[in-house]
Amino acid sequence: MKLNHVYKTFYPDTPKEVKALSDINLTFEKGEFTTLSGESGSGKTTLLNIIGGLDSATSGEIFFEGEEITAYSEEKMAKLRLHDIGFIFQAYNLIHVLTVRENIGFIMKLLKFDAKEIEERILELASILQIEDLLDKLPGEISGGQQQRVAVARAVASRPKLILADEPTANLDSKNSARLMNMLRTLNEKEHVTVIFASHDKYVLEQSKRIIVLDDGVVIEDR
Amino acid sequence: MYNTIAQHLAWLSIWRRKTRSLMVIMMIALSLSGLLGLQGLYDGMISHLINTTIRSDSGEISLYDKKYRLNKSLDYRLTPLSKYKDAFSKMESIEAYSIRLEKEGLIATAHKSLGATLKGISLENEKTFGGLDAFITQGDYSFGKENKNALIGSALAKKLNLNIGSRVIFTAQDLTGEINAISFRISGILKTGNPSIDDHSVFVSMAKMSKFINVHQSATQIALRVKDTENITIVQKELQKLFPDIDVLRWDELYPLLIQMQDWMNIFNLASYAIVFIVAALGIFGVMLVSVLERMREFSIMLAIGTPYKTVRNQIIMEASFLGFIGYMAGAFLGWIFLLYMSTAGVDMRAFEAGLELYGYSAVMYANMHLYYFFQAFFAVFFATLLSVIWPLRKLKKIKPIQVIQGKML
Repeated sequence: MKLNHVYKTFYPDTPKEVKALSDINLTFEKGEFTTLSGESGSGKTTLLNIIGGLDSATSGEIFFEGEEITAYSEEKMAKLRLHDIGFIFQAYNLIHVLTVRENIGFIMKLLKFDAKEIEERILELASILQIEDLLDKLPGEISGGQQQRVAVARAVASRPKLILADEPTANLDSKNSARLMNMLRTLNEKEHVTVIFASHDKYVLEQSKRIIVLDDGVVIEDR
Repeated sequence: MYNTIAQHLAWLSIWRRKTRSLMVIMMIALSLSGLLGLQGLYDGMISHLINTTIRSDSGEISLYDKKYRLNKSLDYRLTPLSKYKDAFSKMESIEAYSIRLEKEGLIATAHKSLGATLKGISLENEKTFGGLDAFITQGDYSFGKENKNALIGSALAKKLNLNIGSRVIFTAQDLTGEINAISFRISGILKTGNPSIDDHSVFVSMAKMSKFINVHQSATQIALRVKDTENITIVQKELQKLFPDIDVLRWDELYPLLIQMQDWMNIFNLASYAIVFIVAALGIFGVMLVSVLERMREFSIMLAIGTPYKTVRNQIIMEASFLGFIGYMAGAFLGWIFLLYMSTAGVDMRAFEAGLELYGYSAVMYANMHLYYFFQAFFAVFFATLLSVIWPLRKLKKIKPIQVIQGKML
């Protein structure tokens, strides 16, 4: 994933104009475990959304596996997200009418995976994330920490090339945060998935192999 | 596979708010069953009117002299009868026919007199033609031992206060213009539901009538029953070719009021369908709009993680379709039970008998039941369902998933 001179301005040419990102130039290699850090309003979530194709850049170029995706249509972008990107949101965001099992297998089903393969993958992830006993429960019947583990399982189930996690530990206690990070780290190492966080959680930063610090929409540090 | 996911989600989603979904289903079911019941009943009432009119008077086709219907003079009659009888015997499409000779005149008792029509008929012929015997409510379907008696319409008998055995006198002009009178006893009272018979007609034997008005081997009307009612127009054209100098008229040309009533009933049915359509559309629309708005975040998440828009769209359409279809099935079942009951046991409207009889309706009304009622209802609900999701889908199409997820837009 490569970003060249990416800018993002909200409400351009109006009195409410906000420059959220300015001249972002970044490259993410396969298998990275990176955190976009910074204070609230620094632009880390905006950058994560642009990387994931959930938002568009005002100007600049974005490349995914060598192909420019900046001008992709919404339909093409949705396809890219479905096939190659897994999302973990701050508020878990599971589908409430589906069981844990169905939530984990949701993207695999959309991608027309074989039913047997889906079930095997669900069981494998449930074992890694220690949610085997929750598979037939509805999201409303399990705790926040458990829901976030289900969200992680859903994000990684179809083996996407990139996982984007926006403040995944924000609603979790320290114990559950540690457990979640360990699990993502394991998945990163075992399955070589590229993981990019947007977080200012110290624990997440400690666990990251690379940290990109943003301030007022500008990269001020990349280590 | 996409549709399987959409179906699965749609089915689960409609039961997320059970009471709300059940209310919509009930609303559709009750309005639909009521509509089916009314449609069948009204259809049955009109069919009954048409049927009794055809059986008791017009047949599917009637033949008259061209001038007779405007000027009911005996000069304008169909003669010789052999010409017509020969033609009918060669036409396979004609099931039965009845030769009638009628004359307007005055019927009188010792206390009262009224205008009426005296009709010469053959009882046997009328029995085959339209089962006139089945309309007898009092007395016998007979002209007595020497064919001297008469049958009379129920409303006319009531007006003249006549009972079985009552003697009346009928006065009319014969072919030569002489005023003649004939006396007879009432042997039977008929109630057909056709006001022109019940209010005005007295039946005597053809022989007695011929002698009374001094007209022989003639008829003022020949009514025909056609074997296949789908071919009435074809038979009419065939007869018009055979007898170009007389009027060959279908029942609907003779009784345009019935067609008008049928048209009004169709308009009424259409209006009823429009009401059901609006009720169903508004019901489903309300539920779908609230349901989509309150789940905007869920749909945004689905779109954000890569669910194709068409899957989400299909899910919403299917949710509405499930509600509509379940409502339709429940309504069709209830409606079918209503119709089954009303078409076999009938609806007893004797409390309104006087008013109904005025228009020729029966006091016990039987509903019709046709498969097309259910098809019409299905399409009404189906289109209502499709219409109801247009606006919620437009709302969904406009959202930016990430803004909804971040709580910046709804």
